[in-house]
Amino acid sequence: MSPIAFWGAVRQGIPRPFLPATAAALVLTVFNLVGTSPAMAHCFAGSRFFPAMLTTDDPCVADELSLPTISGFKTGDIPANRELDISAEFSKRITEDFGVSIGRTYTRLWVPGGPNASGWQNLETTFKYQFLTWPQSEFVLSAGVSVEWGRTGNASVGAEKFHTITPMLWVGKGMGDLPSSFGALRAFAATGQVGYAIPSWRRTVTITSIDFDTGEVDFDEERHPHFLQYGGSIQFSMPYLKANVIDLGLPDVFNRMVPLVEASFRTPVANTIQMANTWDENNRTIGTVNPGIIYVADKFQIGAEAIIPINRASGKGIGWVAQLHFFLDDIFPTTVGRPIIPISARLGP
Amino acid sequence: MKIIRKNLLAGAFLLTSLAAADAHAQLESANPRVGSIVSAAPSVLTLNFSEGVEPAFSTVQVTDAAGRRADAGKPRVNGRVVLVPLRPLAPGQYTVRWRVLSVDTHTTEGSFGFEVRP
Repeated sequence: MSPIAFWGAVRQGIPRPFLPATAAALVLTVFNLVGTSPAMAHCFAGSRFFPAMLTTDDPCVADELSLPTISGFKTGDIPANRELDISAEFSKRITEDFGVSIGRTYTRLWVPGGPNASGWQNLETTFKYQFLTWPQSEFVLSAGVSVEWGRTGNASVGAEKFHTITPMLWVGKGMGDLPSSFGALRAFAATGQVGYAIPSWRRTVTITSIDFDTGEVDFDEERHPHFLQYGGSIQFSMPYLKANVIDLGLPDVFNRMVPLVEASFRTPVANTIQMANTWDENNRTIGTVNPGIIYVADKFQIGAEAIIPINRASGKGIGWVAQLHFFLDDIFPTTVGRPIIPISARLGP
Repeated sequence: MKIIRKNLLAGAFLLTSLAAADAHAQLESANPRVGSIVSAAPSVLTLNFSEGVEPAFSTVQVTDAAGRRADAGKPRVNGRVVLVPLRPLAPGQYTVRWRVLSVDTHTTEGSFGFEVRP
């Protein structure tokens, strides 16, 4: 999945992406019927394949579809709400190195003692440029910007009325260039991402009451902080181990697994309010640590992770997330799975 | 829930599309096996890929610990199988570097070692 999921997710504990499913299916059907020509890969750097992840984003530009990503968890509110998110994300290469992702999430909230709510989160798009790929070092570096479009979701499930723009960096590094004496350690890889989220509104002021005799007006002010968003993964690639380090003769199902731990965090850094003894998510670092496993098939992958909040403001108890992810460059290599403009301006050998 | 039904429908469409497409050519197995120690020097290296590969755009190099070429001649490709003739191998470590183009034009690459130890 992508970082799109990350922010709304971390706010209440989890990820979310994408487009209405039927629209995606229609688009894919149309692309499936027309067009021809070659395609490159999903996230490869030399021998290293970085799988798409569930909580953070892989460092590459690719043609892929996460449909669906489903997560269940309890929010950081007191008392905690129970939340179910169903999301999808479509990523499309415009050129070999530049791509766009569109994500959307449908949320169902169960509020203790209150009315339940359901609706769409804001539409999110990410523009990413994979400007450095170093195959021999299994190194990838990308930069881009993620935009959450205000007023495109339902306020009842927490969708904001303002936009949030987040310049981001993504990095991936495989350990395959270590000396062969390091053995199975060469199958490890790490990914990371960092962004700075800037809301388009500094604050929201809501009038709570007006005294018509005195003319006094009471109002609430909610500040919208800037956030530093960061996260990443540590992963052990069984496919890499088998093909590049040592073939242990394990059954194929094990050779396709990538155990990993993802983590994602958000820290307010500007336009904050100093408040003591508060659980407010806007005044402290929140995040989750998500251990899980991804099974990588030839043209799709399936992943599942536990969601462990780092503190009470990040959520209550352990949640879960699962995802079905399709490699469109393999499924539709001559149509939707290839760049619209097949040119490359990538750095590296 | 409607949203779940829509997701399932779109997912079903994609799943039905999977059978018709080729994927990246991944190394499924090799002989000598990846990372293995063999007592008898092989005369041919065999690479089995998950997809068919294009002979004209696929290369395999075998080198010894000193970096000298140990392969003898061009690889022979038969669908998903690539056969690489080898020179007589002395005891020691060998490195295999391969790069192949699958029939649907995806390029993949990898490397591994094996050791001849009588």
